[in-house]
Amino acid sequence: MDEILGEFIAETLETLEVLSGEVVAWERDPADGARLDAFFRFFHTVKGSCGFLNLPRFERLAHAAEDVLAAIRRGQRSADPATVGAVLAIMDRIGALARSAGEGRAPDLAESDDDALLDALHLASDGFEIFEPLPSPAAPQAEAPALAPAVAAAEEEEKPAEPQRRAGAPRSIRLPLALIDQLMNGISDMVLARNDLARRMREHGADPELESSFERLSANVADLRDMISKTRMQRIDRLYAAIPRMVRDLCRELGKQVALELDGGDVEMDREMIEMVLDPLTHIVRNALDHGIETPAARRAAGKAESGTLRLVARQSGNQIVIEVSDDGRGIDRAALVEKALAAGLHTPAEAALLSDADRLALVFHPGLSTAERVTAVSGRGVGMDVVRANVEQIGGVIAIDSHAGCGTTITLRVPLTLTIIPGLIVRAGGHCLAMPRGNVVELLHDNSAMVAIEAVGGAHIATIRGERHALVDLEDVLGIARAEAGPGPRTLMVVRSSVGRPYVLGVESVESNEELVIRPASPVVTAAGLFAGMTLPDNGQPMLLLDAAGIAQVARLPLREAELHALPAAQAEAEQAETLQALMYRERDGALRLMPLGVVDRVEDLPAGRIVRTGEGAFARIEDRLLPALNAQGEIGATVKALRLHDGRGELCYLIEEVLDIVAAPARIDVVLAGPRVAGLVMVDEAQYEMADPFAIFAEAARAAVPAAERAISCHIADADDPWMRNILATLLIQAGYRVSIGTLPEAAPDVILRTEAGAPVSGTPAPVLTLSAEGAEGGAIYRYDRAGLMAAIARATRSAA
Amino acid sequence: MTDSLFLFAAIADTPVAVRADEIEAVVRLREVVPVPRVPPYVRGLAALRSRVLTVIDMHRRIFGAESRGDSAAAHAIVAEIAGHSYGFCVDALTDICHAAQGVQPVRGRIDPAWAPFVSGLVEREGRSHLLLTLTDFAAMPAGPSLAA
Repeated sequence: MDEILGEFIAETLETLEVLSGEVVAWERDPADGARLDAFFRFFHTVKGSCGFLNLPRFERLAHAAEDVLAAIRRGQRSADPATVGAVLAIMDRIGALARSAGEGRAPDLAESDDDALLDALHLASDGFEIFEPLPSPAAPQAEAPALAPAVAAAEEEEKPAEPQRRAGAPRSIRLPLALIDQLMNGISDMVLARNDLARRMREHGADPELESSFERLSANVADLRDMISKTRMQRIDRLYAAIPRMVRDLCRELGKQVALELDGGDVEMDREMIEMVLDPLTHIVRNALDHGIETPAARRAAGKAESGTLRLVARQSGNQIVIEVSDDGRGIDRAALVEKALAAGLHTPAEAALLSDADRLALVFHPGLSTAERVTAVSGRGVGMDVVRANVEQIGGVIAIDSHAGCGTTITLRVPLTLTIIPGLIVRAGGHCLAMPRGNVVELLHDNSAMVAIEAVGGAHIATIRGERHALVDLEDVLGIARAEAGPGPRTLMVVRSSVGRPYVLGVESVESNEELVIRPASPVVTAAGLFAGMTLPDNGQPMLLLDAAGIAQVARLPLREAELHALPAAQAEAEQAETLQALMYRERDGALRLMPLGVVDRVEDLPAGRIVRTGEGAFARIEDRLLPALNAQGEIGATVKALRLHDGRGELCYLIEEVLDIVAAPARIDVVLAGPRVAGLVMVDEAQYEMADPFAIFAEAARAAVPAAERAISCHIADADDPWMRNILATLLIQAGYRVSIGTLPEAAPDVILRTEAGAPVSGTPAPVLTLSAEGAEGGAIYRYDRAGLMAAIARATRSAA
Repeated sequence: MTDSLFLFAAIADTPVAVRADEIEAVVRLREVVPVPRVPPYVRGLAALRSRVLTVIDMHRRIFGAESRGDSAAAHAIVAEIAGHSYGFCVDALTDICHAAQGVQPVRGRIDPAWAPFVSGLVEREGRSHLLLTLTDFAAMPAGPSLAA
């Protein structure tokens, strides 16, 4: 906390120093918009920072000044000299307070003095109604201790200790980053020179004394490089340090419950980047708490858990750091944004109607638009997101926003790693040397190891390592280069895990060495290949490309489906978990209770037992002269049987059940995936778990049993064109049942089945099965011609065996 | 006067000029490490002290991959564009000198292959040289012509 407080003070004083130059100019020309914005942002930042540093005095002053400046920005009040004076007085006061706080002593200005300054601001704002409806800036702070007396007391106890601690704090100075960059480059050059020298010494065979002093120099250079790299890199933990406290305080202030999850704190990031990201991240978190996550009551009403979730995830992705902030709140209200945009004259209604959803969402980043219905002390009035975006873009980053109404918002920051050092493996493939970040490599094996089995199935290469199957990709194939002549040794397999996707196995010729690599961004034309995250100059002085593990998976078109599910931003995953689907609860004929997604159930019907036709392996239900595959037809069937008519959009089938019990809302996500037939897994409904039927498996099963579906109509050939029954009655029946019918001479395309009467001429010269119909009854293999079900089943059977 | 200082070179026997203030240095290329899966005009990477250059073959960039086999060009113009270091290979270097008349508009119709890169003419010793802008060569070509 001390560190953050110290930084806040240093930053505030620095900004004040910059702004003090502007003060005079602003006094001269109070209407100058750019200067006004600069002052506004200053107060906003101070307000934001002290909100979580618990400096109510700063916050109160900053909030009041910010209100006035906001009114000026909106044109609701003019920047008259009295106002400007009052604002400047507040600036001075903030400066004075910051200085005394920085020196670790109590401010020598009493807090009551602040009131005089605020009164001056009020006086200046005389008669402006905008000031009244705003919540009293001091109010939330005044309430806070009352809500948490225990915590407040604890903080008070801490306070007296602070000055001593500060006195003993390690001394530090601020350095321009450019200097550190130069140092870093200098060190890199030195390392290269050392390596060059080492090579030459090897070539010329230096004497041992020279070698030992060279070794010492070499070690020193390595240490120096490590130290200098450390000056730049910091764990993201530092970025996270302030967040739990801030979330706690804000929740208390706002009366919300939020569970905070922080992930990826061990990702290292350039310290400059951390500094640059801190501010935008703070804004985003505040926004998420203030505007995103609803009050417990509202959440309950929306059917969500009372406690919201705020999740921060950081990870390295190629030469970028990705920080995701996701909440499971109400999402961003596009309509409200559009309305605000209309009111602000940004768009005409006609233009607004044409905006895509993404465009609407992007309005969040527009200066002056904020969807909050009221201004709060927490996240203000729309200075937020436009400033956030400006700050992120300034460091070459990208900010993306994804929001689902009612489910939450995910904001993704991608910032570059301008200069980082990562441990890497240098691999050889087809004459090329490439580097792979060691963090992506889970394991290294030789392909002749007993633990590995490699097989190629239908074009897919699979490496099974200790029983686990992985996709196998050869680096040479991905790079489109020829494999080198088989070397003496085995190839090396790397089990690679990227930030997205499931692990896969990358085959390379060999792994050469393990080095700390200084990564620089690769030029766009190289990055465009999608395989490289950057480039580096390792110790041998040969430029080398850094592989992008996720990019390789993408270029190799590895199936990532399973992994994509895991990689879903948390909010979305949560949303999915919360998402329910309507399911029919029924009892199977064997007594088991199961759920069937209602979406696939066309109808529930009672079928007379006679409509069920059992055939060799399966059964069919006769419905309106069609035969549908019937599942579960085994066993005794009473007079009637309940059946679910299931449809998959094209085909239908009958699924026989005992009874229908209920329609329930079941979670769309399966809790436990089972591999059983017809069952997708277990889901929880009202504290009890049920098996969820797997419509896919059911349809797949039916498809195996059924007549090859409507893809290609089955052609029946009626051999006896002269028989009136065959021609008039049977042909009509077959056509109705969806068969293609030809009569008389054999068509050119061989029919799937041929029907003839007992009396007609025998059919020959075709491989198609022949069914003989009899007018008398089923004798001698013939089918009684009025046994419709039997006939249909026979046709189905015949065509199936033909297929 | 730096405005009128140009580097004169030749690409495919065509005289060209590049503004000197775009150029950081001219170096003799040593080893160029080829890069897989990039457009053929990218010759590869080359180390220049602790920097890594992306080496662009200007000849291939202009005329396409089939225009000729592997470039033998030994010299590269080093330039820093948008934070990245590039080396641009030319076939031959002629001179660095001032062109008194500065840049003049293009006269006549230029071959379509050259057209996207030429922004003017510069005269040296009575001969017109096509003025090229290095940034154009570092930029990604428009359209889906990236197949390696």
